[in-house]
Amino acid sequence: MHSPGVITEVNAFSWGIHSSSFATDEVEEESLQIPAEPKNAAPPAGGCPAAFHFMLQITQASASVGPCHPGVRHASGQPGSIRFRHMIRLLAILTLSIGLAETRLASAAPDYSRDIRPILEKRCYSCHSRLKQEGKLRLDAGALIHKGGKNGPVMAPGKSAASKIVKRLITQDENDRMPPEGKPLSPDQIALIKSWIDAGANFPADETIPRLPAEHWAFQPVRRPTVPPVKNGKWVYNPIDHFVLAKLEARGSRPAKEATPSALLRRLHLDLNGLPPTLAEQGTFARAAGNGHFAAVLDTVITDLLARPQYGERWARHWLDVVRYADSNGYERDAEKPFVWRYRDFVIRAFNDDKPYDRFLLEQFAGDELSDANGDTLIATGLHRLGNWDDEPADPELDRFDQLDDMVSTTSQAVLGLTLGCARCHDHKFEPLTTRDYYSMVAIFNPLKRPQNGRTELTLAAGRVGETAAAKERDQKIGELRRQTNTLSAVEIEQRVETLRAATPDLPQGYFFHEPSPQAPPTHVLLRGSPTRPGPAVSPAIPAVLVTRQPEFPSGNSRTSQRRLGLAHWLASAENPLTARVIVNRIWQQHFGAGLVRTPSDFGTMGELPTHPELLEWLADWFTHEGQWSLKSLHRLMLTSNAWRMSHASNADDAAGDTGNRLLGHMPYRRLEVEALRDAMLAVSGQLNPAMYGRGVFLRIPQAAIEANTDKDSIWNPSPEAEQSRRSIYAFVKRGLVVPMFEVLDLCDTVHSSPQRNVTTVAPQALTLFNGDFVNEQAHHFAARLRREAGGNPRDQITHAYRIALSRTPTLSEMSAMTEFLRIETPDSQPVPEAQPTTSALEQMCRVILNLNEFAYAE
Amino acid sequence: MPNEPASRFIPNPTPCGRSRREFLWQVGGGFAGLALIDLLSRTGAFAAEARAATAGIHPLALKPQHFPAKAKHVVFLFMNGGPSQVDTFDPKPELAKHHGKAYTGDAKIGSNGRAIGHLMQSPFEFKKHGQSGLEISSLFPHTAKFADDLCVIRSMHSDTAAHASGCLQMNTGHVLIGKPCLGSWLSYGLGTLNENLPSFVVMTDPRGGPIGSASNWTAGYMPAAYQGTLFRSAGVPLLDLATPAGTSERTQRRSLDLLKKLNAEHLQSRPGESELAARIESYELAYRMQTTAAEVVDLGKEDTATKEAYGLNEKRTADFGRKCLITRRLLEKGVRFIQLYSGGGHIEDTWDGHNDCITNHKLHAGETDKPIAALIADLKRTGLWDETLLVWGGEFGRTPTSEGVGKPGRDHDWHGFSMWLAGAGVKGGQAIGATDEVGFKAVEEPCHVSDLHATVLHLMGLDHTQLTYFHSGLAQRLTGVVERNVIRKALTGL
Repeated sequence: MHSPGVITEVNAFSWGIHSSSFATDEVEEESLQIPAEPKNAAPPAGGCPAAFHFMLQITQASASVGPCHPGVRHASGQPGSIRFRHMIRLLAILTLSIGLAETRLASAAPDYSRDIRPILEKRCYSCHSRLKQEGKLRLDAGALIHKGGKNGPVMAPGKSAASKIVKRLITQDENDRMPPEGKPLSPDQIALIKSWIDAGANFPADETIPRLPAEHWAFQPVRRPTVPPVKNGKWVYNPIDHFVLAKLEARGSRPAKEATPSALLRRLHLDLNGLPPTLAEQGTFARAAGNGHFAAVLDTVITDLLARPQYGERWARHWLDVVRYADSNGYERDAEKPFVWRYRDFVIRAFNDDKPYDRFLLEQFAGDELSDANGDTLIATGLHRLGNWDDEPADPELDRFDQLDDMVSTTSQAVLGLTLGCARCHDHKFEPLTTRDYYSMVAIFNPLKRPQNGRTELTLAAGRVGETAAAKERDQKIGELRRQTNTLSAVEIEQRVETLRAATPDLPQGYFFHEPSPQAPPTHVLLRGSPTRPGPAVSPAIPAVLVTRQPEFPSGNSRTSQRRLGLAHWLASAENPLTARVIVNRIWQQHFGAGLVRTPSDFGTMGELPTHPELLEWLADWFTHEGQWSLKSLHRLMLTSNAWRMSHASNADDAAGDTGNRLLGHMPYRRLEVEALRDAMLAVSGQLNPAMYGRGVFLRIPQAAIEANTDKDSIWNPSPEAEQSRRSIYAFVKRGLVVPMFEVLDLCDTVHSSPQRNVTTVAPQALTLFNGDFVNEQAHHFAARLRREAGGNPRDQITHAYRIALSRTPTLSEMSAMTEFLRIETPDSQPVPEAQPTTSALEQMCRVILNLNEFAYAE
Repeated sequence: MPNEPASRFIPNPTPCGRSRREFLWQVGGGFAGLALIDLLSRTGAFAAEARAATAGIHPLALKPQHFPAKAKHVVFLFMNGGPSQVDTFDPKPELAKHHGKAYTGDAKIGSNGRAIGHLMQSPFEFKKHGQSGLEISSLFPHTAKFADDLCVIRSMHSDTAAHASGCLQMNTGHVLIGKPCLGSWLSYGLGTLNENLPSFVVMTDPRGGPIGSASNWTAGYMPAAYQGTLFRSAGVPLLDLATPAGTSERTQRRSLDLLKKLNAEHLQSRPGESELAARIESYELAYRMQTTAAEVVDLGKEDTATKEAYGLNEKRTADFGRKCLITRRLLEKGVRFIQLYSGGGHIEDTWDGHNDCITNHKLHAGETDKPIAALIADLKRTGLWDETLLVWGGEFGRTPTSEGVGKPGRDHDWHGFSMWLAGAGVKGGQAIGATDEVGFKAVEEPCHVSDLHATVLHLMGLDHTQLTYFHSGLAQRLTGVVERNVIRKALTGL
C-alpha cells in the first residue's frame, strides 16, 4: 500500500451537514428514529399511492444511483439496506432542518457545519479550497480558516468587527469586496458569519482537512503492495484470494461457498463467450470433473474458451460500449458511417489475438503514426471518428470543438477514468483539471480532419505508406489513361486499366480521420469554451496533475504532427498512474459484477474509492509486469481465483453486514446484457449463425417502430434471413433508430462513452420478451429442436429443454408443472389435426423457458 | 433559496456536482419515496434484506415538486416543420405595406443556401378574439374561441436553422444529440402518476416521424425508464403489446402463470434478490398494461357528440382528432407528458412550407385546429384543465419573406417565432414579446427555447436550476449552463 490513508480518505466536498453525520454511521438506531411516514411523505395530491409499481425499476448502474455524489461516497449504507434507510431518514431530518435554519438563527449561535460551511462552500471554495488557494488562503476546514493566508490570520475569534474576512465581505468598494464574482453575500449570511466569529468561531474538532488533489490515490504511481496473510490458507488459490479473504476475515465474515460445477461451467461460458455451454460441452465437463482434478478441468475450459473466436465477439462489445461505437452519425441524415465496421472487426481480432493492451492503445490512438503502421493500425484509429456528427451544424465553428470535445472526453473517460470534459468552459470544479489541461489535450487531436465532400463522408485507403502511395499513383495513371481517348481505343484503355489494377489491387477502405498536413494548426484556450474568445495558445500536454514531468511530444515528421504518438506512448506506459488501474477495473467489473472502483470511468476525487485498494494496486502492477498487458492472462488470473468461484448465496449473517457486497463475500446476480441474452436464445434455439465480421446486420424491427421515422419507407431495410440470426455484436447500431429490443433492454448510450450497462426492470421488457416476434420465433425453433432431438415424449422434451437452456435437469416440481402445462395446452380436439399434437404447447413452454429469470440471470 | 420558503432543500451551489435533492431522488424517490421504501419493504416486494447492489428504488416513484404548482401534466402539441408566425399568431400589418420589397434588416435569411425572395404579406386575416382581444389568424377559427386562455409568446428564438438540431433543441434544450427530453426530465423530476401506462407518451404523424426520429424522445444519458414511449392511436397502441398471433388469451394467461410459478420457486431459494422479484412483477405489470392501453384507444364508449367535436367524422381532422381524444383519455389515466406531432416526413407533409406555405398551413392548421379546440373544451369539462399545461409550437418559425421571388413558400426563421401556452398556471388572453415590424426577429422580451423550458418546469413546480442529473462529471440541466429565466409574464401577465 502506497498510502495507508487511502481507505479512510474523506471526501473533500462533504456537502454541508449530512456528510459529517454520515461519518458517524455507527450511531445506534434508536437515536435515529423518526416516524416511519412523516406527514409530508404523502405523494402530492392526485397521485396514485401505488404508482411506484409501474415499471418497477431497479437501477444498478452508477448513472442513477448515488456513488459519485459528493456526500455519499463514504457512506457504508447502500440502497435497500436497513442502515441505508436510516440514512435517508436522517438525511430527511437534516435537510428539513437546513430549511429551518434561516428562522432559527436569531436565537442560537450559528453552527459551523450547519450554517457556515454551506455558505463558504457555495461562495468561497472556488478560489479558497483544496483546488485553488488564492492568497494562500483555504476556507474548506475550520482549522484552515483560523490559520489564515499569506498575510496572516483573516479572522479574530470573538471579534467579528476586527476580522479581515468580515471587512472584505461588507466593504462597499467593489474591487475589494469578496466574493469578487456574483452578488455580495446576503445580510443574513453576513450576520451568520459575524455571530459565528463572535461566538468564538468554533468548529468540530474531528473535522477532516480535505487532501490536496495531487495526493489523490489514483494520481499516485502504482506500487505493488505485499500480499496480506490469511487465516484460512486452504481457501486461497492465488493472490487475489489473499486480498479478498483477508478483508473478509478482518470483518469476521466468510466467503460464500463454491458454486456448483454446472453453475461454474455456465458462468464461465457466459463470462467469456456470452453463450451457454452446449450439451456436448456439459457432458465433457461433467465426465472430466468426475475423474480429474477440478481446478485442472476448469483450467482446460478457460483455455478453450479464451481461444475461441466467440471470446473476441463477447469482449469487443464491452470495449465498444466504452468508446461510444455506433454505425451511424445521428442527426437528420443519420447517415451510415461507411466501413466503420472494420473498426469493430479490428477490436474483435485484437481481443482474439490477445493484442497486449498497451499495443491496442497505441494502434487506436496513433496507428497512422507508428513506424510499423499498416492498414489495420490505420483502421484502429477509427476510434476518434466514432462520435456523432451533424453534417449541417447549427454553428460550424462550435461544431469543430464539439467534435474535438468528443475525442478528448472519450479518451479521458475510456482510458484514464477522468472527466476532463468538464474543464472545457472553466477549470474543473472538483478535480485538479484546468482549461489549460483540457485545451492542451485538444491540441493533440486538433490536426485531425474529417475526410468529407460537403455532407458526404469520404473513406480512405487503409494500407502501409508504400501501399497507399502506390494506390494513389495507380489512380493517377488510370485517370491519365482515360483522357487519352484520341490516341487509344476505348477497349485498349480498359485493358490497360485492368492491367494497372491487377498490378496494384485496391486497398480496403477505412473510416478514420487523417492529418492532411504535418503542420499542426494553432490551438488556444477558449474562454468560457467559446470559439469566438480565444485565450492563450497551448501546446500538446498531459494534464499537469498526472505527471511530474511532461512526456516528450515528438516533433512532426513529413506526414503527421506526431502529437497523438506522444499521447499514445504516455497512455500506454506503465508509469501512467491510471491506464492500468482503469482497464484492470473494467475487466474485474465484467467478471465480478461490479468494479473494485464502482465508478469505472471516474477515478478522480469525485469517483468512488476502491473497495479493495490494495488488490487493485496489486492487479494493476501485475498486469503491466508479469501480465505484460495481456488481457487473456488477466482473465485467467481472475477466473482461477477462488473468489470467482463463489456462489451467489452469501452467508445470510455476513450479507447483512455487507450491503452492496463491498467485501466481496459472494458473487452477485447479473442480468445478461441484451446482446448475450439474444445470443443465448439463438444458441438455445439452434439458429445461431456463427459468421463473423462485415457490415452491420439490419435486424427485423416492428413496423410500428419504423413508422415514427421521417423516412419511414427507406430508413430500414432488414438484412437477409440468414443474417438475422448472427451474433448481436454485428447488429447495425443506428443512433436515430435503435433496435427496440436492444433499447428496451438497456443497450448502452450510443452517443457517449458508457462505463457500465444500466440494469432496469420495466414492463415493456416483459412485453418484448413475451410477445415480441424475436422470442416467439426462437421459441418456435427451440420447440422444433426438442422434437427433433428428444422425440415425442414430453418428459424427455422437458429434460432436454432444461439442459439446453439452463445447463441442468428440472426439479420434480418443475417437471410436474411443465407436464401439466403441456397436457392442458394439448387438448384432444386440435384444430389442426395433422400437426404434431404438442407443437403449439411445446412452443408455449419454450417461450416460458426463454423468459425465466434463471435464463436471463447468470447464476 | 431564502425567497422560496416552500422549498425544503438547499440549492445546488453550482451547476457541477449533484445536489442533495438529487441524491434523495435518485436513491429514495424524495420524501414520498421514503414512505414508498417502507411500504415496499413491508409488502415484501423488496424484502428488507435485499442486497444493496440490486435494491435501487424505482426511479419513477412520485417525487415532490420544488414548490407548489397547479400543473401535473403537459401536452405538447408539436407543429413539426415550423409554423409561420406571421400567418398564425403574430399579425404584421407593416408586412402588407412592404409586400414585394426586399428585406433590409440584419437577420440572416435562408437556411442551407435556399433562394431568398421578397417580403410577403400573410393572406390570412387576423381578428381580435375574446374579451382580451388577442389577435389570431383565420387559420384557427376553433382555437380562437379560447383566445382568452392562450398566452402567445411572439418573441421565441432558437439557435439553429436546421430541423434536426431545431427539433432536438425544442425537445432536449440542446442542438447536440444524446440529451434527455423535456418529457424525460419531467418523468425523472416528478415520477409517474399512473401504474399501468408509461409516464411519457409520444404520438407521431401517420406521414412519418419528426426529423431526428427517436432522438426527439430519448432519455439520453438517463436510464431508459425515462424515455418517451411511442403510442399508436389505433390498433395496438404499444410495441409488442398484443398477445402473439396464434396464442389464445387463455394460453397467454396460463403461460404467464407457469412463468410466475417457476420464477417464484427459483426466487424461493434465493431470498432477498429484489431484482429477480422485480422482474417477476414486471410481467404482471405488462399483462395489466395490455388491458389498460387497449382500453385507452378503444373509443367505443365515447358519445357521438364528443367524436363529432374532435372531428373524428371528417377525413381531414380524423387522425389528429383521434390523438387529441386519446390524449384526454391518457390524461385521465395519469400520463405525465404527452407529445403529439402534427406533420411528419419532409417539407409539405409537415409545416415546413418551403414551396407553398399558404396551402401548407391551410392543410396542417385545418387538420389540427378543431381537434385542439375540442381538447381544450373537453379538458375544461372534465376539470383536467386545472392541472394540465398545453404547449403549442414547432421547432422554429418561418421567414416573412418568400422563398424565391414570386413563390408562396417561406423558409426557416429561428430569429423570432410564436408559440402558445395554455392551461394550469398560465395567464391567458395575452401576447408576450414582439418581433420587429415585419416579423423576422424577436426584439421585445425575447424568449429563448431554454427560457420556455424553464417556464414549463416552473409551471410543473420544478426549479430549472435545481433539477439536475449527474452525468460525465457534471450536474446536467435541461436548460444548460447559460443563465435562463422563467417567463414570469406567462404566469402573471405582468
